[in-house]
Amino acid sequence: MQITQSQAGALQVATLEGRLDTATAGAAEAQLMALLAPPGLVLDLTNVRYVSPAGLRTLLKLAKEARTKSASFSLVGLQPAVREVFEISGFDKIIPAFGTLAEATA
Amino acid sequence: MTDRLHLRLAPETDSVTTLLDALEAYTDAQALPISAASRLMLLADELAANVIMHAHGATFLAAELSREAETLRFTLTDDGPEYDPLRRGAANTQGSVEEREIGGLGVHFVEQLATTAEYRRADGHNILSITLDAGAE
Repeated sequence: MQITQSQAGALQVATLEGRLDTATAGAAEAQLMALLAPPGLVLDLTNVRYVSPAGLRTLLKLAKEARTKSASFSLVGLQPAVREVFEISGFDKIIPAFGTLAEATA
Repeated sequence: MTDRLHLRLAPETDSVTTLLDALEAYTDAQALPISAASRLMLLADELAANVIMHAHGATFLAAELSREAETLRFTLTDDGPEYDPLRRGAANTQGSVEEREIGGLGVHFVEQLATTAEYRRADGHNILSITLDAGAE
């Protein structure tokens, strides 16, 4: 799992590449938690082809932490298989997901 | 190209990477649709992680995958204490961020994504077997 950090306006953007799975979720969580601060964090998942339940738990922890810190937290570029996992887990109802970075930062 | 995969792994988190790499190579070789491949990897990952977290005392974790026509069969075997992951309650998938619990999703995914799921205890082993639709688009 590669994580590249950038900025879009005032928001932090983390671009993830690889699998967000049981083996990689812990390290990714530590890196992403450190980036999570107001006004908010956007995760670009365009190059993530697979998110496991462990990865979903990481995203849920980030969403909870964002609430605590009054920061926004959103996702962009969900691939179809990742989107399916989101819909089945009901995460599509609690974590905003956008098609493009421009939409997420609008 | 073989249509049967067998792996014997140590019951530790790094083994999940080995397992997923092997499943990814298998699903690529079989040219499975991305959705079927993703479902298989998701369930394999979660069920293997379950064993690694709960089966204290297990000395191995064996994974088997085979394909018969449009059915994938994935079986995990370990020699840890008796543990049936299918008996855990289903997760809350409707609540707000605050209400959601970190965990409990595994059983929900099995119910949603697998065609069948069966647990049995035999010869001191936990044996969990699921079947999936190999043609899921």
